[in-house]
Amino acid sequence: MILPKFEFHEPTSISDACELMARHRGEARLLAGGTDLLVNMKKKVLNPKRLVSLGRIPELTQVERSNGTLWIGAGATVSAIAASAMVARDASALGLGARALGTPLIRNLATIGGNIGSARPAADLPPALIVYGAVLVLRSVAGERRLPIGEFFKGPGLTAAHEDELIAAVVIQVPAGYAGAGYLNLGVRKAQDCNIVNVASYLELDGRAEVIRAARVALGSVGPTPLRSPSAEAVLIGQKPTEALFDLAADAAQRDCMPILDFRGSAEYRRDMVGVLARRTLTMALAEARSRN
Amino acid sequence: MKQLIRLTVNDREYEVGVDPNTTLVDLLRGHLGLTGTKKGCDLGDCGACTVLLDGKAVNSCLVLAVQAGDRTVQTIEGLETAQGLHPLQQAFIEKGAIQCGFCSSGMILSAKELLDRSPHPAEPEIRRAISGNLCRCTGYQKIIEAIKDAAR
Ligand SMILES: Cc1cc2nc3c(=O)[nH]c(=O)nc-3n(C[C@H](O)[C@H](O)[C@H](O)COP(=O)(O)OP(=O)(O)OC[C@H]3O[C@@H](n4cnc5c(N)ncnc54)[C@H](O)[C@@H]3O)c2cc1C
Ligand code: FES
Ligand code: FES
Repeated sequence: MILPKFEFHEPTSISDACELMARHRGEARLLAGGTDLLVNMKKKVLNPKRLVSLGRIPELTQVERSNGTLWIGAGATVSAIAASAMVARDASALGLGARALGTPLIRNLATIGGNIGSARPAADLPPALIVYGAVLVLRSVAGERRLPIGEFFKGPGLTAAHEDELIAAVVIQVPAGYAGAGYLNLGVRKAQDCNIVNVASYLELDGRAEVIRAARVALGSVGPTPLRSPSAEAVLIGQKPTEALFDLAADAAQRDCMPILDFRGSAEYRRDMVGVLARRTLTMALAEARSRN
Repeated sequence: MKQLIRLTVNDREYEVGVDPNTTLVDLLRGHLGLTGTKKGCDLGDCGACTVLLDGKAVNSCLVLAVQAGDRTVQTIEGLETAQGLHPLQQAFIEKGAIQCGFCSSGMILSAKELLDRSPHPAEPEIRRAISGNLCRCTGYQKIIEAIKDAAR
């Protein structure tokens, strides 16, 4: 398969990358791990005139924790996130998403910035990022702006980023005590597979009284973008976490999704699985919340 | 326009001019004559093109040759030493883990990344490590046994 021709740039700083994206506005695309973009170019779905590679920008790959926030550079690879003890401790659901993505070979190339930037409805990292309330740090020649990840996705392959903007980092407020999250994805195989349904849940308990203070549920692969489930969240907030409550929340989540039918599964099956995964990820979130005090 | 890049492949330095749209697998096979790296799907699905890039196993069909500039690549040709075949290569032969051989370079390099990082892996770790490499003839059991054997 022959890649279409393009001009290639390899800036070594974020500001140089922004400069290039501004100068070639509309005809340049960012290249990170290439596991989405190069496939689309080989299939002739995309044909950008120029590629601006982010692969030689060391400041993009930092993963660090300071003052209760986790800073993940957009260039951090999925395998680095999967292997990070810091991510496993402070944002376990993101770590689970990273371990579920693609194959070891893909994870060594793929970046978190590319997973968000590609805006695929079935992508493995966005649901966890959404329930953690992650904020994207966007950079362009005009400066820096911050956008909650929930406002970033606009449709399959469509985002709120301006043509010359890049994601520099993802910032997560480390959950406090009595808070936890879970992530599960369902595919046909364990590796090398597109998700049929993927769900992340987050619960924050009111200390020992065990009343749910905050709840967020995000559903992947069942709409044009990853979706929050406001109905499930409304069922949960202010209640004591019980199996019966999680059943009600799971039913509510099924009402908030808009699955389609394709060769991977029927819409009915997907809707049922949304309920199953919502219930299981809530159970995971509760177990983690109880262990983090 | 061709771009001049320098890279190290199997401990040998190369300086080559490449078009930006040349992939690493095509550079290795077409320009450097290292045809031990195979090309199956060319889309990241099969793992036949697996090489180690700075020690990490990757699909070389999804890496541009220019992205490999100033970096270190190891292919199947780089595993044999003056002492003979690499223990993984030897184990693949002894355990009958090779039939047509099309997947073998990739399997062995994925396994090498694992053993470099975790010298005595448990079976689930082995299965995970080769989950991006498809084999259409041997079946995976003998491949897993060969990797276990090499790790002993
Ligand atoms: C065999 C195979 C299996 C896969 N399996 C999965 C899977 O299980 N789950 C999953 O979620 N995905 C999967 N993918 C898709 C892909 O690997 C991931 O989405 C990956 O995270 C993309 O990251 P990348 O760095 O390779 O992005 P690239 O391909 O480099 O870029 C993807 C898009 O994002 C844009 N972009 C990249 N970086 C930035 C940035 N910093 N700021 C703004 N925009 C940016 C690019 O311009 C491009 O449009 C798979 C792909 C393959 C080939
Ligand atoms: S040829 Fe690269 S993964 Fe199939
Ligand atoms: S030996 Fe033929 S594909 Fe594996």
